Amino acid sequence: MVLFVSSATLSHYFWKYEPKKDLDYSLKLKAPNLTVTEEIPSIHLFGTDKLGRDIFRRVVHGGWNSLRVGIVAVGISLFFGGAVGLMSGFYETVTMTMIERLVLFGATGFLLGFLSAWIANQYFQLVLYTGLGLAAGYYQDLFKGKFLRMVVFGILGAFFSAVPGLFISPTVALICGLWGLFTGVLLSRPLDGKFFSNVMMRLMDIVLSFPGYLLAIAIVAFLGPGLGKGMIAIGVVGIPVYARLTRSVVLAIIHKEYILAAQSVGESHGRIIFRHVTPNILSPIIVQTTMGLASAILSAAALGFLGLGAIPPEPEWGAMLGESYRYLTSGAWWAVLFPGLAIMLSVLGFNLLGDGLRDALDPKLRT
Amino acid sequence: MNPILEIKNLKTRFYTQDGVVKAVNDVSYTMSSGEILGVVGESGCGKSVHALSMMQLIPDPPGKITNGEIWFDGRDLLTLNEDQMQKVRGRDIAMIFQDPMTSLNPVFTVGFQIVEALLLHNDMTKEEAKERAGDLLNLVGIPGAKQRLNDYPHQFSGGMRQRAMIAMGLSCEPRLLIADEPTTALDVTIQAQIIDLVKKLQDELGMAIMWITHDLGVVAELAHTINVMYAGSIIETGKIRNIYKQTRHPYTIGLLGSLPRLDDSPGTELVSIPGLPPDLVALPKGCPFAARCGYRIDQCLTEKPPLVEIDGENHSVACWRWEEIAGMGSK
Repeated sequence: MVLFVSSATLSHYFWKYEPKKDLDYSLKLKAPNLTVTEEIPSIHLFGTDKLGRDIFRRVVHGGWNSLRVGIVAVGISLFFGGAVGLMSGFYETVTMTMIERLVLFGATGFLLGFLSAWIANQYFQLVLYTGLGLAAGYYQDLFKGKFLRMVVFGILGAFFSAVPGLFISPTVALICGLWGLFTGVLLSRPLDGKFFSNVMMRLMDIVLSFPGYLLAIAIVAFLGPGLGKGMIAIGVVGIPVYARLTRSVVLAIIHKEYILAAQSVGESHGRIIFRHVTPNILSPIIVQTTMGLASAILSAAALGFLGLGAIPPEPEWGAMLGESYRYLTSGAWWAVLFPGLAIMLSVLGFNLLGDGLRDALDPKLRT
Repeated sequence: MNPILEIKNLKTRFYTQDGVVKAVNDVSYTMSSGEILGVVGESGCGKSVHALSMMQLIPDPPGKITNGEIWFDGRDLLTLNEDQMQKVRGRDIAMIFQDPMTSLNPVFTVGFQIVEALLLHNDMTKEEAKERAGDLLNLVGIPGAKQRLNDYPHQFSGGMRQRAMIAMGLSCEPRLLIADEPTTALDVTIQAQIIDLVKKLQDELGMAIMWITHDLGVVAELAHTINVMYAGSIIETGKIRNIYKQTRHPYTIGLLGSLPRLDDSPGTELVSIPGLPPDLVALPKGCPFAARCGYRIDQCLTEKPPLVEIDGENHSVACWRWEEIAGMGSK
């Protein structure tokens, strides 16, 4: 592990490598050699690939890319997944304050407004939708529990989106009006509490219901190839895993008395979440993160293998495999073996690290 | 004395898969400032839930306060929103919980947690808060208070943790302190120390205390007034002397009878109340205690007795036959 991380990091900073210049057709597909001969003027520890590039250098430099993908992708999953999990776990049973309600209702209005704004091509409608959301959040007691509340907000929503739609065409006005009606009715309901956490988790379930690689490939296809976009794709696929994990551990500790005690001395929700909830749920998440690094590296390699990860001259383990597997039958085993071995060892390493951390952090195993 | 807390017709429900749990049914009472009120009853009778309802800390869902008013300091707490409640909690009403083992956050030092509570409602610097936290720990009788501030909860014993919790509860000098079975998890000697401590603190600081317990023995030494709760309702309430000397409700009689007494001759068996409390999902139509009651008459099964005052001293009983029970001259 140490070897992997340090070689990847050090090589990036101290062993400059320009993939575009590393070409020598005369040296293509040479087996590993440890001595300089007349035929091969330089040492190639792992041999060379089809373009005569030194595989050792590419494996070492590819490590930097893999590490980067792993960290950024896991960072994305952890950040968004953790936030979703924390919020849906915490607010399931805790009453929201006014500001939190406003944010929730405003954001709901804003997001739902996109469809209408997009259909009518009038993006100022977003302001109306957000305003409607804020109003619904602020006047939470207006006609509370009565059918009238639904009617009032439904009509307001329909009105707000149908009238601007009229300037485009009656059809647009009708569709926008119906959407506005739906939004208004939805906003008139209590969106906090159980409803909020259910919606969050069902959204996560939707993401989770796609096969991971397929979704990643779809996202890359949508965004275009490249290492950075690969990171985003792998990160998005990982979000629900972290959301579910975080939510489950939040639910496990939310009814502990110290959380109740923190509430009973009047601490704000933000403080409770960051001071009392987060530190107490960290250990399973740290373990999951290390394991996640391994699977992110693997996913990145898979994307690279399919030509959807790093853009070619850039060294990347999966891409190296993808370029070289065709030469395996003609005897160039080294071009496939070494990048493959690098993937395997780094994944194994991160998994072992995760196991080790779990043993170290799990209080049940500690004596 | 002027009332500090007035609860009117409080109802709390839990909507579960097995039906609606009627945890608190029409509870009404008044507390004066500086009063120590004991709330007594067996597990699941709604003592804790009614206190949590006051703080609006009922997990929702499944819990909901469906009816009632809770007047504290001229405001109905049930109409306040979460923002306003956060200002009430800790500053006006503080709460101490049953299990000192889990009510402190294990990842922070005790001092940090008290300082945090102090800084929430008081305008002071971190140094002042630290100073004050040390004083508070000293006040609740933790030796070497200043050094113990840097200890983690696991370095404290159960009794010390409960003291630390009390210090935290006192940090903002609330006018009402709710102690939810604070001594249940402690052994008897520590329990006695905590009771003495609370008595002393009440003398010094003069706040009202609501002491929730299932142990009539504990509140006997402490409380001025007692509410006896059963199946979510108050069935007998009154001054401590009246409750212990002129017990009128069969359930309270049963509770007192099940306590060991110093003047019992050795070998006397404790009397227990037969049967189990009713299922809160399907409460009986009449008196909730009827099924277990030795004084039961037909009326008890069909009509729920109201809580009526029986003397000029606010001693009230919810029983159809309190007069006859009084006539029998029960202890």
